Amino acid sequence: MTNIVVLVKQVPDTYSERKLAAGDNTLDREAADAVLDEINERAIEEALVIKEANEGEVTVVCVGPDRANDAIRKALSMGADKAVHVSDEALHGADILQTSKVLAKAVGTVEGVDLIIAGNEASDGRGGAVPAVLAELLGLPQLTHARKVTVEGGTVKVERETADEGITHLEASLPALISVNEKINEPRYPSFKGIMAAKKKPVEKLTAADLGLDGEVGLANAASTVLESAPKPPREAGQRVDDEGDGGVKVAEYLASQKLI
Amino acid sequence: MRFAPTAEQQDLRIAVRELMRDRCPSSVVRAEPDDPAINGLAEEICRMGALGLLVAERDGGLGLDENYLVPLMVETGWAAAPLPLVDSIAFAPGLLSHAGYSDGPDYRKRWCVADPAKRAETRFGQPAGLLLRGGFGGTGAVQLVDLDTAVRSHLAAMDPSADVHDVRGGQELAIVDDPVLVRQAWQRGVLAAAAQLIGLARHMLEMTVDYVAGRTQFGVPVGSFQAVKHRLATALLAVEFAAPVVDRAGHSMASANPGADRDVSSAKALASEAARAVGREAIQCHGAMGYTTEYDLQLYLKRAWALAADWGSASWHRARLAGHLGMSLTGSTPAG
Repeated sequence: MTNIVVLVKQVPDTYSERKLAAGDNTLDREAADAVLDEINERAIEEALVIKEANEGEVTVVCVGPDRANDAIRKALSMGADKAVHVSDEALHGADILQTSKVLAKAVGTVEGVDLIIAGNEASDGRGGAVPAVLAELLGLPQLTHARKVTVEGGTVKVERETADEGITHLEASLPALISVNEKINEPRYPSFKGIMAAKKKPVEKLTAADLGLDGEVGLANAASTVLESAPKPPREAGQRVDDEGDGGVKVAEYLASQKLI
Repeated sequence: MRFAPTAEQQDLRIAVRELMRDRCPSSVVRAEPDDPAINGLAEEICRMGALGLLVAERDGGLGLDENYLVPLMVETGWAAAPLPLVDSIAFAPGLLSHAGYSDGPDYRKRWCVADPAKRAETRFGQPAGLLLRGGFGGTGAVQLVDLDTAVRSHLAAMDPSADVHDVRGGQELAIVDDPVLVRQAWQRGVLAAAAQLIGLARHMLEMTVDYVAGRTQFGVPVGSFQAVKHRLATALLAVEFAAPVVDRAGHSMASANPGADRDVSSAKALASEAARAVGREAIQCHGAMGYTTEYDLQLYLKRAWALAADWGSASWHRARLAGHLGMSLTGSTPAG
Protein backbone atom coordinates (compact mmCIF):
# COMPACT_ATOMS: atom_id res chain seq x y z
CA MET A 1 0.00 0.00 0.00
CA THR A 2 1.71 3.17 -1.19
CA ASN A 3 0.00 6.53 -1.06
CA ILE A 4 1.55 8.76 -3.65
CA VAL A 5 1.23 12.46 -4.33
CA VAL A 6 2.24 13.71 -7.76
CA LEU A 7 2.91 17.40 -8.27
CA VAL A 8 1.61 18.65 -11.59
CA LYS A 9 1.83 21.97 -13.35
CA GLN A 10 0.06 23.41 -16.34
CA VAL A 11 2.54 25.15 -18.61
CA PRO A 12 2.46 26.96 -21.95
CA ASP A 13 2.93 24.42 -24.73
CA THR A 14 6.62 24.39 -25.68
CA TYR A 15 5.56 24.42 -29.34
CA SER A 16 3.87 27.80 -28.95
CA GLU A 17 5.54 31.16 -28.45
CA ARG A 18 6.02 31.77 -24.74
CA LYS A 19 6.31 35.27 -23.32
CA LEU A 20 5.99 37.36 -20.21
CA ALA A 21 3.09 39.75 -19.64
CA ALA A 22 3.89 43.38 -20.44
CA GLY A 23 2.63 44.82 -17.12
CA ASP A 24 4.28 42.81 -14.36
CA ASN A 25 6.66 40.45 -16.17
CA THR A 26 4.83 37.37 -14.96
CA LEU A 27 4.07 34.48 -17.28
CA ASP A 28 1.53 35.45 -19.95
CA ARG A 29 -0.75 32.44 -19.69
CA GLU A 30 -3.21 33.71 -22.28
CA ALA A 31 -0.55 33.98 -24.98
CA ALA A 32 -0.07 30.27 -25.47
CA ASP A 33 -1.90 26.95 -25.41
CA ALA A 34 -1.74 25.44 -21.95
CA VAL A 35 -0.86 21.80 -21.44
CA LEU A 36 0.07 19.41 -18.66
CA ASP A 37 3.87 19.62 -18.48
CA GLU A 38 5.33 16.57 -20.18
CA ILE A 39 7.68 15.76 -17.30
CA ASN A 40 4.58 15.57 -15.07
CA GLU A 41 3.08 12.95 -17.37
CA ARG A 42 6.18 10.89 -16.66
CA ALA A 43 5.83 11.54 -12.93
CA ILE A 44 2.21 10.35 -13.10
CA GLU A 45 3.21 7.28 -15.13
CA GLU A 46 5.80 6.37 -12.48
CA ALA A 47 3.24 6.83 -9.71
CA LEU A 48 0.77 4.60 -11.57
CA VAL A 49 3.39 1.90 -12.11
CA ILE A 50 4.25 1.94 -8.39
CA LYS A 51 0.57 1.90 -7.48
CA GLU A 52 -0.13 -1.01 -9.80
CA ALA A 53 2.69 -3.01 -8.19
CA ASN A 54 2.04 -2.11 -4.55
CA GLU A 55 -1.58 -0.94 -4.50
CA GLY A 56 -2.36 2.44 -2.99
CA GLU A 57 -3.72 5.73 -4.16
CA VAL A 58 -2.40 8.47 -6.42
CA THR A 59 -3.35 12.07 -5.63
CA VAL A 60 -2.33 14.88 -7.93
CA VAL A 61 -1.61 18.26 -6.37
CA CYS A 62 -1.65 21.33 -8.58
CA VAL A 63 -1.17 25.03 -7.95
CA GLY A 64 -2.46 27.16 -10.79
CA PRO A 65 -5.36 29.19 -12.11
CA ASP A 66 -8.79 27.68 -12.77
CA ARG A 67 -7.89 26.63 -16.29
CA ALA A 68 -5.23 24.31 -14.83
CA ASN A 69 -8.25 22.08 -14.29
CA ASP A 70 -7.61 20.77 -17.82
CA ALA A 71 -4.15 19.57 -16.78
CA ILE A 72 -5.60 17.95 -13.66
CA ARG A 73 -8.24 16.18 -15.74
CA LYS A 74 -5.55 14.77 -18.00
CA ALA A 75 -3.72 13.41 -14.95
CA LEU A 76 -6.94 11.86 -13.68
CA SER A 77 -7.74 10.38 -17.09
CA MET A 78 -4.32 8.71 -17.14
CA GLY A 79 -5.36 6.94 -13.96
CA ALA A 80 -4.70 9.12 -10.88
CA ASP A 81 -7.43 8.73 -8.25
CA LYS A 82 -8.09 12.23 -6.96
CA ALA A 83 -6.76 15.76 -7.00
CA VAL A 84 -6.11 18.82 -4.86
CA HIS A 85 -6.20 22.09 -6.81
CA VAL A 86 -5.00 25.28 -5.17
CA SER A 87 -6.36 28.14 -7.21
CA ASP A 88 -6.32 31.73 -5.99
CA GLU A 89 -5.86 35.08 -7.72
CA ALA A 90 -3.69 36.05 -4.72
CA LEU A 91 -1.06 33.53 -5.89
CA HIS A 92 -0.42 35.44 -9.11
CA GLY A 93 3.31 36.08 -9.37
CA ALA A 94 4.28 33.60 -6.64
CA ASP A 95 7.97 32.69 -6.68
CA ILE A 96 9.63 29.33 -6.06
CA LEU A 97 9.63 29.71 -2.26
CA GLN A 98 5.97 30.68 -2.08
CA THR A 99 4.94 27.96 -4.49
CA SER A 100 6.82 25.41 -2.40
CA LYS A 101 5.11 26.66 0.78
CA VAL A 102 1.71 26.39 -0.85
CA LEU A 103 2.55 22.90 -2.11
CA ALA A 104 3.76 21.87 1.35
CA LYS A 105 0.45 22.94 2.88
CA ALA A 106 -1.56 21.36 0.08
CA VAL A 107 0.32 18.05 0.37
CA GLY A 108 -0.40 18.29 4.11
CA THR A 109 -4.13 18.03 3.41
CA VAL A 110 -3.59 14.53 1.95
CA GLU A 111 -3.49 11.84 4.61
CA GLY A 112 -0.74 9.25 5.00
CA VAL A 113 1.53 10.28 2.14
CA ASP A 114 4.36 7.79 1.54
CA LEU A 115 5.89 9.22 -1.57
CA ILE A 116 5.83 12.55 -3.39
CA ILE A 117 6.81 12.48 -7.06
CA ALA A 118 7.65 15.63 -9.01
CA GLY A 119 9.16 16.34 -12.38
CA ASN A 120 12.75 17.58 -12.07
CA GLU A 121 11.86 20.98 -13.52
CA ALA A 122 8.92 22.60 -15.24
CA SER A 123 9.39 23.51 -18.89
CA ASP A 124 8.34 27.14 -18.32
CA GLY A 125 10.15 28.38 -15.19
CA ARG A 126 13.00 25.85 -15.38
CA GLY A 127 14.08 26.70 -11.84
CA GLY A 128 14.22 23.05 -10.87
CA ALA A 129 14.27 24.00 -7.19
CA VAL A 130 10.71 23.29 -6.09
CA PRO A 131 11.23 19.56 -5.34
CA ALA A 132 14.24 20.31 -3.12
CA VAL A 133 12.60 23.25 -1.33
CA LEU A 134 9.44 21.25 -0.75
CA ALA A 135 11.39 18.30 0.69
CA GLU A 136 13.16 20.70 3.02
CA LEU A 137 9.90 22.29 4.16
CA LEU A 138 8.33 18.89 4.79
CA GLY A 139 11.45 17.44 6.38
CA LEU A 140 11.57 14.59 3.87
CA PRO A 141 14.58 12.93 2.24
CA GLN A 142 14.95 14.18 -1.32
CA LEU A 143 16.01 11.89 -4.15
CA THR A 144 16.12 14.12 -7.18
CA HIS A 145 16.82 13.66 -10.91
CA ALA A 146 15.80 10.01 -10.84
CA ARG A 147 16.02 8.02 -14.03
CA LYS A 148 14.93 4.79 -12.32
CA VAL A 149 12.82 4.29 -9.21
CA THR A 150 12.18 1.14 -7.15
CA VAL A 151 9.87 0.99 -4.15
CA GLU A 152 10.29 -2.05 -1.92
CA GLY A 153 8.59 -2.29 1.43
CA GLY A 154 9.40 0.88 3.32
CA THR A 155 12.27 2.06 1.15
CA VAL A 156 12.72 3.79 -2.16
CA LYS A 157 15.80 3.42 -4.32
CA VAL A 158 16.63 5.66 -7.24
CA GLU A 159 19.28 6.00 -9.88
CA ARG A 160 20.07 9.70 -9.90
CA GLU A 161 21.50 11.09 -13.09
CA THR A 162 22.92 14.55 -13.63
CA ALA A 163 25.17 15.96 -16.32
CA ASP A 164 27.87 16.96 -13.81
CA GLU A 165 27.99 14.00 -11.49
CA GLY A 166 26.90 11.09 -13.66
CA ILE A 167 24.92 8.32 -11.97
CA THR A 168 24.55 7.93 -8.23
CA HIS A 169 22.50 5.32 -6.38
CA LEU A 170 20.37 6.72 -3.58
CA GLU A 171 18.17 5.00 -1.04
CA ALA A 172 15.84 6.40 1.59
CA SER A 173 13.10 5.19 3.85
CA LEU A 174 9.56 6.33 3.18
CA PRO A 175 8.07 8.86 3.36
CA ALA A 176 10.28 10.58 0.81
CA LEU A 177 10.22 12.94 -2.14
CA ILE A 178 11.60 12.09 -5.55
CA SER A 179 11.90 14.05 -8.75
CA VAL A 180 12.17 12.29 -12.08
CA ASN A 181 13.94 13.14 -15.33
CA GLU A 182 12.78 12.51 -18.87
CA LYS A 183 14.47 9.08 -19.06
CA ILE A 184 12.28 7.60 -16.34
CA ASN A 185 9.59 6.08 -18.59
CA GLU A 186 7.27 6.61 -21.51
CA PRO A 187 3.94 7.92 -20.23
CA ARG A 188 0.77 6.05 -21.21
CA TYR A 189 -2.00 7.56 -23.31
CA PRO A 190 -5.21 8.13 -21.41
CA SER A 191 -7.71 5.38 -22.23
CA PHE A 192 -11.27 6.27 -23.24
CA LYS A 193 -12.41 4.62 -20.03
CA GLY A 194 -10.02 6.82 -18.05
CA ILE A 195 -11.23 9.92 -19.87
CA MET A 196 -14.86 9.11 -19.07
CA ALA A 197 -14.04 8.31 -15.45
CA ALA A 198 -11.95 11.46 -14.86
CA LYS A 199 -14.93 13.75 -14.47
CA LYS A 200 -16.32 11.70 -11.62
CA LYS A 201 -13.11 11.70 -9.60
CA PRO A 202 -12.93 14.09 -6.64
CA VAL A 203 -11.05 17.38 -7.09
CA GLU A 204 -10.68 19.38 -3.90
CA LYS A 205 -10.45 23.11 -4.59
CA LEU A 206 -8.50 25.19 -2.08
CA THR A 207 -7.54 28.85 -1.75
CA ALA A 208 -4.52 30.41 -0.07
CA ALA A 209 -6.78 31.31 2.87
CA ASP A 210 -7.85 27.66 3.21
CA LEU A 211 -4.18 26.79 3.64
CA GLY A 212 -3.60 29.60 6.15
CA LEU A 213 -1.34 31.48 3.74
CA ASP A 214 -3.53 34.52 3.18
CA GLY A 215 -1.52 37.72 2.88
CA GLU A 216 1.83 35.90 2.59
CA VAL A 217 1.75 35.09 -1.08
CA GLY A 218 1.63 36.78 -4.46
CA LEU A 219 3.89 39.05 -6.46
CA ALA A 220 4.05 41.74 -3.75
CA ASN A 221 5.47 39.26 -1.24
CA ALA A 222 7.76 37.40 -3.63
CA ALA A 223 11.44 37.12 -2.74
CA SER A 224 12.31 37.15 -6.43
CA THR A 225 10.59 39.12 -9.16
CA VAL A 226 11.38 39.79 -12.81
CA LEU A 227 12.24 43.47 -13.35
CA GLU A 228 12.62 43.40 -17.09
CA SER A 229 12.91 40.96 -19.93
CA ALA A 230 13.83 41.06 -23.59
CA PRO A 231 13.12 38.53 -26.31
CA LYS A 232 15.98 36.32 -27.39
CA PRO A 233 17.92 38.13 -30.14
CA PRO A 234 17.49 36.55 -33.56
CA ARG A 235 20.29 34.24 -34.58
CA GLU A 236 23.01 36.04 -36.42
CA ALA A 237 23.62 34.98 -39.97
CA GLY A 238 26.49 32.52 -40.20
CA GLN A 239 29.58 32.97 -42.29
CA ARG A 240 29.15 31.54 -45.75
CA VAL A 241 32.02 29.86 -47.50
CA ASP A 242 31.78 29.24 -51.23
CA ASP A 243 33.73 26.15 -52.11
CA GLU A 244 36.17 26.90 -54.90
CA GLY A 245 38.27 23.86 -54.31
CA ASP A 246 39.57 25.24 -51.04
CA GLY A 247 36.42 24.79 -48.92
CA GLY A 248 38.04 22.26 -46.62
CA VAL A 249 40.98 24.55 -45.94
CA LYS A 250 38.65 27.46 -45.15
CA VAL A 251 36.60 25.35 -42.74
CA ALA A 252 39.78 24.19 -41.04
CA GLU A 253 41.05 27.78 -40.80
CA TYR A 254 37.76 28.86 -39.24
CA LEU A 255 37.81 26.05 -36.69
CA ALA A 256 41.43 26.83 -35.86
CA SER A 257 40.62 30.53 -35.39
CA GLN A 258 37.96 29.48 -32.86
CA LYS A 259 40.59 27.25 -31.19
CA LEU A 260 38.42 24.18 -31.87
CA ILE A 261 41.20 22.32 -33.70
CA MET B 1 -28.53 21.59 -30.40
CA ARG B 2 -25.09 22.20 -28.99
CA PHE B 3 -22.19 21.80 -31.40
CA ALA B 4 -19.34 22.48 -28.98
CA PRO B 5 -17.73 19.23 -27.87
CA THR B 6 -18.02 18.26 -24.21
CA ALA B 7 -14.87 18.16 -22.09
CA GLU B 8 -14.76 14.37 -22.50
CA GLN B 9 -15.13 14.54 -26.27
CA GLN B 10 -12.39 17.16 -26.36
CA ASP B 11 -10.09 15.06 -24.14
CA LEU B 12 -10.74 12.00 -26.30
CA ARG B 13 -9.88 13.97 -29.41
CA ILE B 14 -6.63 15.22 -27.84
CA ALA B 15 -5.64 11.75 -26.63
CA VAL B 16 -6.21 10.25 -30.09
CA ARG B 17 -4.42 13.17 -31.74
CA GLU B 18 -1.37 12.68 -29.51
CA LEU B 19 -1.33 8.97 -30.21
CA MET B 20 -1.56 9.60 -33.96
CA ARG B 21 1.17 12.28 -33.93
CA ASP B 22 3.50 9.97 -31.98
CA ARG B 23 2.74 6.57 -33.46
CA CYS B 24 1.34 7.17 -36.94
CA PRO B 25 3.71 9.50 -38.82
CA SER B 26 3.84 9.16 -42.61
CA SER B 27 6.56 6.50 -42.32
CA VAL B 28 3.96 4.22 -40.68
CA VAL B 29 1.41 5.00 -43.39
CA ARG B 30 4.02 3.91 -45.93
CA ALA B 31 5.09 0.80 -44.03
CA GLU B 32 4.46 -2.77 -45.18
CA PRO B 33 1.24 -4.23 -43.70
CA ASP B 34 3.14 -6.56 -41.36
CA ASP B 35 5.49 -3.84 -40.11
CA PRO B 36 5.88 -3.91 -36.30
CA ALA B 37 5.03 -0.19 -36.18
CA ILE B 38 1.55 -0.90 -37.56
CA ASN B 39 1.03 -3.72 -35.07
CA GLY B 40 2.20 -1.40 -32.31
CA LEU B 41 -0.31 1.22 -33.41
CA ALA B 42 -3.08 -1.41 -33.50
CA GLU B 43 -2.22 -2.52 -29.97
CA GLU B 44 -2.15 1.03 -28.66
CA ILE B 45 -5.55 1.74 -30.23
CA CYS B 46 -6.90 -1.41 -28.55
CA ARG B 47 -5.37 -0.37 -25.22
CA MET B 48 -7.11 3.00 -25.45
CA GLY B 49 -10.38 1.15 -25.78
CA ALA B 50 -11.30 2.43 -29.24
CA LEU B 51 -12.61 -0.94 -30.40
CA GLY B 52 -15.13 -0.93 -27.55
CA LEU B 53 -16.26 2.66 -28.09
CA LEU B 54 -19.70 1.74 -29.45
CA VAL B 55 -19.95 -1.66 -27.75
CA ALA B 56 -22.59 -1.73 -25.01
CA GLU B 57 -21.32 -1.76 -21.42
CA ARG B 58 -22.99 -5.11 -20.76
CA ASP B 59 -20.84 -6.57 -23.54
CA GLY B 60 -17.64 -5.18 -22.05
CA GLY B 61 -17.54 -1.96 -24.09
CA LEU B 62 -17.76 1.70 -23.19
CA GLY B 63 -21.32 2.20 -24.41
CA LEU B 64 -20.49 5.58 -25.94
CA ASP B 65 -22.32 7.06 -28.91
CA GLU B 66 -21.60 8.55 -32.33
CA ASN B 67 -20.76 11.95 -30.81
CA TYR B 68 -17.52 10.28 -29.67
CA LEU B 69 -17.05 8.29 -32.87
CA VAL B 70 -16.74 11.44 -34.99
CA PRO B 71 -13.70 13.04 -33.25
CA LEU B 72 -11.98 9.64 -33.04
CA MET B 73 -12.43 9.14 -36.78
CA VAL B 74 -11.46 12.71 -37.71
CA GLU B 75 -8.14 12.26 -35.91
CA THR B 76 -7.38 8.78 -37.25
CA GLY B 77 -8.33 10.06 -40.69
CA TRP B 78 -5.92 12.97 -40.30
CA ALA B 79 -3.13 10.46 -39.79
CA ALA B 80 -4.40 8.04 -42.49
CA ALA B 81 -3.94 5.27 -39.92
CA PRO B 82 -3.38 2.09 -41.97
CA LEU B 83 -5.85 -0.06 -40.03
CA PRO B 84 -9.47 -1.15 -40.62
CA LEU B 85 -10.84 1.39 -38.15
CA VAL B 86 -14.09 2.30 -39.94
CA ASP B 87 -14.80 -1.43 -40.24
CA SER B 88 -13.83 -2.45 -36.70
CA ILE B 89 -14.87 0.53 -34.60
CA ALA B 90 -17.95 1.79 -36.47
CA PHE B 91 -19.48 -0.92 -38.68
CA ALA B 92 -18.82 -4.04 -36.63
CA PRO B 93 -19.83 -3.51 -32.96
CA GLY B 94 -23.63 -3.79 -33.22
CA LEU B 95 -23.39 -6.78 -35.57
CA LEU B 96 -20.79 -8.60 -33.48
CA SER B 97 -22.69 -8.05 -30.23
CA HIS B 98 -25.82 -9.47 -31.82
CA ALA B 99 -23.90 -12.51 -33.06
CA GLY B 100 -22.23 -12.98 -29.66
CA TYR B 101 -18.74 -11.98 -30.81
CA SER B 102 -18.43 -8.64 -29.05
CA ASP B 103 -15.79 -9.26 -26.40
CA GLY B 104 -14.28 -12.58 -27.29
CA PRO B 105 -10.93 -13.63 -25.85
CA ASP B 106 -9.39 -13.71 -29.31
CA TYR B 107 -7.84 -10.34 -29.91
CA ARG B 108 -7.74 -10.81 -33.67
CA LYS B 109 -11.47 -11.49 -33.79
CA ARG B 110 -12.05 -7.95 -32.60
CA TRP B 111 -10.39 -6.49 -35.67
CA CYS B 112 -12.68 -6.83 -38.66
CA VAL B 113 -12.68 -5.92 -42.30
CA ALA B 114 -15.91 -5.00 -43.99
CA ASP B 115 -16.99 -5.67 -47.53
CA PRO B 116 -20.47 -4.14 -47.48
CA ALA B 117 -20.82 -4.01 -51.27
CA LYS B 118 -19.70 -7.67 -51.63
CA ARG B 119 -17.00 -6.66 -54.08
CA ALA B 120 -14.77 -9.40 -52.66
CA GLU B 121 -12.27 -6.69 -51.76
CA THR B 122 -10.86 -5.69 -48.39
CA ARG B 123 -8.38 -3.07 -47.25
CA PHE B 124 -6.03 -3.11 -44.23
CA GLY B 125 -6.96 -6.72 -43.48
CA GLN B 126 -3.62 -7.60 -41.81
CA PRO B 127 -4.73 -7.49 -38.14
CA ALA B 128 -8.28 -8.72 -38.81
CA GLY B 129 -9.69 -12.13 -37.96
CA LEU B 130 -13.24 -11.52 -39.16
CA LEU B 131 -14.82 -10.43 -42.40
CA LEU B 132 -18.24 -8.75 -42.47
CA ARG B 133 -19.77 -9.27 -45.88
CA GLY B 134 -22.89 -7.40 -47.02
CA GLY B 135 -25.02 -4.60 -45.63
CA PHE B 136 -24.45 -1.99 -48.36
CA GLY B 137 -27.10 0.72 -48.20
CA GLY B 138 -28.19 -0.56 -44.78
CA THR B 139 -30.24 -3.41 -46.19
CA GLY B 140 -29.90 -7.15 -46.61
CA ALA B 141 -27.98 -9.50 -44.36
CA VAL B 142 -24.41 -9.28 -43.11
CA GLN B 143 -22.42 -12.47 -43.07
CA LEU B 144 -19.71 -12.93 -40.41
CA VAL B 145 -16.89 -14.90 -41.99
CA ASP B 146 -13.76 -16.39 -40.43
CA LEU B 147 -11.09 -14.57 -42.40
CA ASP B 148 -8.45 -17.22 -41.73
CA THR B 149 -10.45 -19.78 -43.75
CA ALA B 150 -11.15 -17.44 -46.68
CA VAL B 151 -9.11 -17.47 -49.88
CA ARG B 152 -7.10 -14.27 -49.94
CA SER B 153 -4.95 -12.96 -52.73
CA HIS B 154 -3.09 -9.70 -52.83
CA LEU B 155 -4.27 -7.14 -55.38
CA ALA B 156 -2.16 -4.42 -56.92
CA ALA B 157 -3.74 -1.09 -55.99
CA MET B 158 -3.29 2.57 -56.71
CA ASP B 159 -2.54 2.99 -52.99
CA PRO B 160 -0.01 0.26 -52.13
CA SER B 161 -0.22 1.08 -48.43
CA ALA B 162 -3.90 0.07 -48.38
CA ASP B 163 -3.07 -3.67 -48.41
CA VAL B 164 -5.92 -4.50 -50.79
CA HIS B 165 -6.91 -8.15 -50.99
CA ASP B 166 -9.33 -10.18 -53.04
CA VAL B 167 -11.19 -12.28 -50.47
CA ARG B 168 -13.53 -15.10 -51.34
CA GLY B 169 -15.29 -17.89 -49.49
CA GLY B 170 -14.48 -18.60 -45.87
CA GLN B 171 -16.41 -20.27 -43.11
CA GLU B 172 -19.61 -18.48 -42.19
CA LEU B 173 -19.74 -18.00 -38.41
CA ALA B 174 -23.02 -16.14 -38.17
CA ILE B 175 -25.45 -14.09 -40.17
CA VAL B 176 -27.14 -10.90 -38.98
CA ASP B 177 -30.29 -9.89 -40.84
CA ASP B 178 -32.02 -7.70 -38.25
CA PRO B 179 -32.87 -4.68 -40.44
CA VAL B 180 -32.45 -2.19 -37.57
CA LEU B 181 -28.95 -3.43 -36.74
CA VAL B 182 -27.84 -3.64 -40.37
CA ARG B 183 -29.07 -0.11 -41.03
CA GLN B 184 -27.35 1.22 -37.91
CA ALA B 185 -24.09 -0.54 -38.79
CA TRP B 186 -24.16 0.87 -42.32
CA GLN B 187 -24.92 4.40 -41.12
CA ARG B 188 -22.10 4.22 -38.60
CA GLY B 189 -19.70 3.03 -41.31
CA VAL B 190 -20.74 5.89 -43.59
CA LEU B 191 -20.45 8.41 -40.75
CA ALA B 192 -16.98 7.16 -39.77
CA ALA B 193 -15.80 7.32 -43.38
CA ALA B 194 -17.12 10.89 -43.66
CA ALA B 195 -15.30 11.87 -40.46
CA GLN B 196 -12.03 10.35 -41.69
CA LEU B 197 -12.40 12.32 -44.92
CA ILE B 198 -12.64 15.53 -42.88
CA GLY B 199 -9.39 14.62 -41.12
CA LEU B 200 -7.67 13.73 -44.39
CA ALA B 201 -8.83 16.98 -46.00
CA ARG B 202 -7.53 19.05 -43.07
CA HIS B 203 -4.20 17.27 -43.23
CA MET B 204 -3.77 17.89 -46.96
CA LEU B 205 -4.72 21.53 -46.48
CA GLU B 206 -2.24 21.96 -43.61
CA MET B 207 0.54 20.43 -45.72
CA THR B 208 -0.33 22.73 -48.60
CA VAL B 209 -0.45 25.89 -46.48
CA ASP B 210 2.94 24.97 -45.01
CA TYR B 211 4.31 24.35 -48.46
CA VAL B 212 3.14 27.60 -50.08
CA ALA B 213 4.35 29.57 -47.07
CA GLY B 214 7.86 28.15 -47.50
CA ARG B 215 8.23 27.83 -51.25
CA THR B 216 9.34 31.12 -52.83
CA GLN B 217 9.10 32.39 -56.36
CA PHE B 218 9.98 35.91 -57.61
CA GLY B 219 11.49 36.44 -54.16
CA VAL B 220 8.28 35.92 -52.17
CA PRO B 221 6.42 32.89 -50.81
CA VAL B 222 4.05 31.54 -53.47
CA GLY B 223 1.31 31.60 -50.84
CA SER B 224 1.39 35.39 -50.89
CA PHE B 225 -0.12 35.41 -54.40
CA GLN B 226 -3.81 36.06 -54.41
CA ALA B 227 -4.52 33.27 -56.88
CA VAL B 228 -3.05 30.75 -54.44
CA LYS B 229 -4.71 32.31 -51.39
CA HIS B 230 -8.13 32.21 -53.01
CA ARG B 231 -7.82 28.56 -53.98
CA LEU B 232 -6.85 27.57 -50.46
CA ALA B 233 -9.52 29.74 -48.89
CA THR B 234 -12.12 28.01 -51.04
CA ALA B 235 -10.72 24.63 -50.06
CA LEU B 236 -10.87 25.58 -46.37
CA LEU B 237 -14.50 26.63 -46.78
CA ALA B 238 -15.38 23.28 -48.31
CA VAL B 239 -13.88 21.40 -45.35
CA GLU B 240 -15.27 23.63 -42.64
CA PHE B 241 -18.73 23.61 -44.20
CA ALA B 242 -18.68 19.82 -44.33
CA ALA B 243 -17.31 19.30 -40.79
CA PRO B 244 -20.40 20.55 -38.88
CA VAL B 245 -22.61 18.47 -41.15
CA VAL B 246 -20.62 15.41 -40.09
CA ASP B 247 -20.97 16.46 -36.43
CA ARG B 248 -24.69 16.89 -36.99
CA ALA B 249 -24.99 13.41 -38.49
CA GLY B 250 -23.24 11.97 -35.42
CA HIS B 251 -25.60 13.87 -33.17
CA SER B 252 -28.65 12.67 -35.14
CA MET B 253 -27.53 9.06 -34.83
CA ALA B 254 -26.71 9.41 -31.13
CA SER B 255 -30.12 10.91 -30.40
CA ALA B 256 -31.97 8.39 -32.61
CA ASN B 257 -33.28 11.23 -34.77
CA PRO B 258 -35.63 9.88 -37.47
CA GLY B 259 -33.70 12.00 -40.01
CA ALA B 260 -30.42 10.25 -39.20
CA ASP B 261 -30.18 8.45 -42.54
CA ARG B 262 -30.70 11.72 -44.40
CA ASP B 263 -28.08 13.48 -42.23
CA VAL B 264 -25.53 10.69 -42.64
CA SER B 265 -25.95 10.84 -46.42
CA SER B 266 -25.50 14.64 -46.39
CA ALA B 267 -22.37 14.21 -44.32
CA LYS B 268 -20.77 11.64 -46.60
CA ALA B 269 -21.67 13.54 -49.78
CA LEU B 270 -20.20 16.81 -48.49
CA ALA B 271 -17.14 15.26 -46.84
CA SER B 272 -16.32 13.24 -49.96
CA GLU B 273 -16.58 16.29 -52.17
CA ALA B 274 -14.62 18.47 -49.76
CA ALA B 275 -11.77 15.95 -49.51
CA ARG B 276 -11.62 15.56 -53.28
CA ALA B 277 -11.67 19.33 -53.78
CA VAL B 278 -8.92 19.88 -51.20
CA GLY B 279 -6.88 17.09 -52.78
CA ARG B 280 -7.15 18.75 -56.17
CA GLU B 281 -6.00 22.13 -54.83
CA ALA B 282 -3.24 20.50 -52.79
CA ILE B 283 -1.81 18.90 -55.93
CA GLN B 284 -2.18 22.14 -57.88
CA CYS B 285 -0.52 24.32 -55.24
CA HIS B 286 2.35 21.90 -54.68
CA GLY B 287 3.20 21.93 -58.36
CA ALA B 288 5.11 18.88 -59.58
CA MET B 289 6.15 18.05 -55.99
CA GLY B 290 2.65 16.86 -55.28
CA TYR B 291 2.92 14.06 -57.83
CA THR B 292 6.04 12.44 -56.43
CA THR B 293 5.78 9.27 -54.36
CA GLU B 294 8.66 10.43 -52.16
CA TYR B 295 6.57 13.34 -50.90
CA ASP B 296 3.83 12.46 -48.41
CA LEU B 297 0.89 14.25 -50.00
CA GLN B 298 0.04 11.28 -52.25
CA LEU B 299 -0.48 9.04 -49.20
CA TYR B 300 -3.32 11.20 -47.92
CA LEU B 301 -4.66 11.97 -51.36
CA LYS B 302 -4.98 8.34 -52.42
CA ARG B 303 -6.59 7.47 -49.12
CA ALA B 304 -9.08 10.29 -49.61
CA TRP B 305 -9.91 9.17 -53.15
CA ALA B 306 -10.55 5.61 -52.03
CA LEU B 307 -12.62 6.63 -49.03
CA ALA B 308 -14.62 9.18 -51.02
CA ALA B 309 -15.67 6.39 -53.39
CA ASP B 310 -16.27 3.84 -50.62
CA TRP B 311 -19.28 3.55 -48.30
CA GLY B 312 -21.35 5.13 -51.06
CA SER B 313 -19.91 7.84 -53.30
CA ALA B 314 -21.01 11.47 -53.10
CA SER B 315 -23.43 10.98 -56.00
CA TRP B 316 -24.84 7.79 -54.48
CA HIS B 317 -25.56 9.64 -51.22
CA ARG B 318 -26.99 12.63 -53.08
CA ALA B 319 -29.46 10.31 -54.80
CA ARG B 320 -30.37 8.82 -51.43
CA LEU B 321 -30.79 12.32 -49.98
CA ALA B 322 -33.05 13.22 -52.89
CA GLY B 323 -35.18 10.20 -52.02
CA HIS B 324 -35.47 11.36 -48.41
CA LEU B 325 -36.53 14.80 -49.62
CA GLY B 326 -39.28 13.27 -51.71
CA MET B 327 -37.66 14.01 -55.04
CA SER B 328 -37.80 11.34 -57.70
CA LEU B 329 -34.76 10.64 -59.78
CA THR B 330 -34.76 10.48 -63.50
CA GLY B 331 -32.18 8.39 -65.27
CA SER B 332 -30.15 5.67 -63.61
CA THR B 333 -29.18 5.45 -59.93
CA PRO B 334 -25.52 6.29 -59.45
CA ALA B 335 -23.37 3.25 -58.78
CA GLY B 336 -22.20 2.74 -55.21
